[in-house]
Amino acid sequence: MSAVAGAPPIAPGVGGTPPASKQPMSRARKITYAVVGAWVGGIVLFVVLFGLTAHKAPEVANNVFSPTDEFRLDTWFKLGPIAINKGVLYLLLSAGITIGVMVYISKRLRERPGRLQVTVEWFYDFARRMTRENLDERMERKYFPLIATIFVFILVSNLLGYIPLPVDSTQKVSVFGAHIPSLQIYAADTNVAFPLVLALGVFVLFTYEGVKHHGPIGYVKSLMPGGVKGPIVLLIFPIEILSNFLRLISLTVRLWANLLAGHMLIAFMGGTLGVLVGLQLVSWFLLPFGIAIFLFEAVLIAALQAFIFAILTAIYIGGAVESH
Amino acid sequence: MLHALIAATGEPLEYGKAAGRAIALGFGAGGGAAGAGAGIGAVFNASIQSKTRQPELRQEVERDQWLGFALTEACFFYGLVGGFIAFFL
Repeated sequence: MSAVAGAPPIAPGVGGTPPASKQPMSRARKITYAVVGAWVGGIVLFVVLFGLTAHKAPEVANNVFSPTDEFRLDTWFKLGPIAINKGVLYLLLSAGITIGVMVYISKRLRERPGRLQVTVEWFYDFARRMTRENLDERMERKYFPLIATIFVFILVSNLLGYIPLPVDSTQKVSVFGAHIPSLQIYAADTNVAFPLVLALGVFVLFTYEGVKHHGPIGYVKSLMPGGVKGPIVLLIFPIEILSNFLRLISLTVRLWANLLAGHMLIAFMGGTLGVLVGLQLVSWFLLPFGIAIFLFEAVLIAALQAFIFAILTAIYIGGAVESH
Repeated sequence: MLHALIAATGEPLEYGKAAGRAIALGFGAGGGAAGAGAGIGAVFNASIQSKTRQPELRQEVERDQWLGFALTEACFFYGLVGGFIAFFL
């Protein structure tokens, strides 16, 4: 027994160099080949088993099923004048997470920060830089909390939209006899009301700051770019007024359309298109693209849109109080 | 020839509506993608050029680059959402 324990228990090949005769495939490459092979094999399998003729589900053939149902808001129950639905739930969730995490972290700031505190501090720094570059010192002190809040709130509600939650009340799944809503990815931003209210708030705010700084007449005058003189004013002025109001629309539609189209693309690539055309092969074929779009949206677009909204808020407020 | 086509489509009115929707979606998504593609290309072109000319400005250039990327990329979704609205609603 002791002899066995004393012997160096190194099996050949384990921990040592791999045999030099043939270079083995690296782990990553093996996995890649396996996944691609499974994908191609699946396509072949679908063609062999089901052929290329479409079999539409009866709901699709009768136009009962619509892919936009995903974004329809069914009232679950009423709480006084407020109808609670999917969008409201997501809104409350993201507000709760934003407030909860921020208050939790600010209550227990440490000398040696944990992982969450480092993240929150990074966001703080990021929003701070964003604000400082676009606002002067007095305005920065006043508006930094707002801009940082907008940034984190939109980021949280965007990211929440990529986590499957059991909210799809139109389709129930039976689990041990209990009917629970099926999993769905939905974001509050896919309803136009959410970005519209945020954008309206920003619009009112920068108009208010501009009027306070320049006076009502002065503010309208300050919309004109400096140095424009003569009859061309008649042409430029309406355009500038229009572009001022277009800020409201562009702020709204940018966030809304990004999230809505993103979620629709994920749904289509992730299987809905195959259901619509009645070919399961299409769903399988598009699945990798669906995953790619999901990652692209969740990693890049969610953060970028929050950043854009916050920095444009800062730019607009800064621009409103700027003197030419 | 035309008669044969119309006969083949069954109900011409419905068929025309469906065709119009499909064209709207194609135009929205395709035109949006083309425009936004050109725009994103221009943004990254300018960013790469300025970064190679002045590497010390890298951080600021990259921040503005992502700003420009997101603003341009949103235009694709304007077209796409317009197409979706025409197609499904």
